[in-house]
Amino acid sequence: MSQSLGSRRHVGVVNYQAGNLQSIGNAFEHLGTLVTRVTRAADLADCTHLVLPGVGAFGFCAERLAQSGLLPAVQQWALEDRRPLLGICVGMQLLADGSDESPEVPGLGWMGGRVAALIGGGVVRIPHVGWNTVRFDVACGEFQPGDQADFYFDHSFAYGQPALGRRVASCDHGTTFSAVIARDNVMAVQFHPEKSQSAGLRLLRGFLAG
Amino acid sequence: MMRTSLKKRLVPKLLIKHRPMGRVARPVLVTTRQFRSARDVGDPVSQAKIYEAQLADELIVLNIDGTPIGGDEVMLSLIERLASETFMPLAVGGGVRSVDDFARLLERGADKVSVNTAALDRPALITEAAARFGAQCVVVSVDFRTEADGTARVYRDHAGVSTGRLVTEWAAEAAARGAGEILLTDADRDGGGPGLACDVARAVSDLVPVPVILGGGCGLAEHFVEGFLRGGAEAVTAGTFFCFRDQNPMQTRAHIRNAGIAIRMET
Repeated sequence: MSQSLGSRRHVGVVNYQAGNLQSIGNAFEHLGTLVTRVTRAADLADCTHLVLPGVGAFGFCAERLAQSGLLPAVQQWALEDRRPLLGICVGMQLLADGSDESPEVPGLGWMGGRVAALIGGGVVRIPHVGWNTVRFDVACGEFQPGDQADFYFDHSFAYGQPALGRRVASCDHGTTFSAVIARDNVMAVQFHPEKSQSAGLRLLRGFLAG
Repeated sequence: MMRTSLKKRLVPKLLIKHRPMGRVARPVLVTTRQFRSARDVGDPVSQAKIYEAQLADELIVLNIDGTPIGGDEVMLSLIERLASETFMPLAVGGGVRSVDDFARLLERGADKVSVNTAALDRPALITEAAARFGAQCVVVSVDFRTEADGTARVYRDHAGVSTGRLVTEWAAEAAARGAGEILLTDADRDGGGPGLACDVARAVSDLVPVPVILGGGCGLAEHFVEGFLRGGAEAVTAGTFFCFRDQNPMQTRAHIRNAGIAIRMET
């Protein structure tokens, strides 16, 4: 089933020199989709789905994205044409108005709200590294409300609650934060689905089905 | 109230040496004893696939030849193959000297980069890497031996040379400078299976706010349990234990679970 779904899909991964493109591409190829690294706006032409990755400090990623020249095309894709986009890790955080990690650099603001530092408080360790339970509050692809699954996280900052859109799934580490958020055609995850083995592939399949 | 549902991690470690095959060099998985006498085990990619099937939480890949990673196409293409043929998080180290080396490894598929001797030479490297890639990407690897006075001291250059520094003191500095994790390896216990240096790990984990990964000395499944409970480690790593014993991550995981420790049992 995933093969037939995948064969009609063509995933673009925004290549702005701040993401783990290799691993994300591999995961989608495993699901049977074509994958294109989007380095110019024209690369979007054949894509059906777009992924905004992000590894690095918030400010570094935001500046790289701005310098890439791809931002107008990505905004056109997600906000005007309303086509499916998935933000991963810092690619999720960029959808906020800003982050405490790099207060001087604005985010894209598509989901509003701010990204804040996770607080260890001597109870939990920061960065939050490893496999943690994600609870789905609303349906998301193959996951139903009430479902739980372990995903791989690696981060020190997190989205509490988006001001626009909604929290789809949450996770606890010291505090409760958003693991998955969504607004219309835009979905974003704090964990790394491309590194989360079968649970991750299930989540990516859900994104491709939308 | 449960403040986190984060699981403890079981992390197989792949030690890599370059071996000549005809005119080319290829990466070979080895095990060591006290960081010496490397013994060839086989192909690292095949071994990684087995570990993935056995539900390893993450993989540590270390080039123990110490060749600079920047121009080391043998290691870089190994990382690329591991990233394309498995879906596990990869922490990669050995011969990492600069922020550009971090970028190169991440580009080829590493998720985290481990730095050891270069951070001792120039601790500012930790801060620079954390500023660009985030602390969660920076693993500071600390090799140590227990000296005649009973203290655990930091060793450098593949645990060949003592720096004279206390493990606790360097780990605290590394965390303060932006390390996201501390990887502690006991060079004396390496490969022998006598059990982990839980006291050293506990002293470090009490001192730093970041996760501690403990390795060197696993010989029994029970040693993992001790590493988590007595050592306060977030992750326990082992190489020889999984390579040469009739033990795999799945069996070890069940033992850890039976001790009441939260660990992943299925995907």
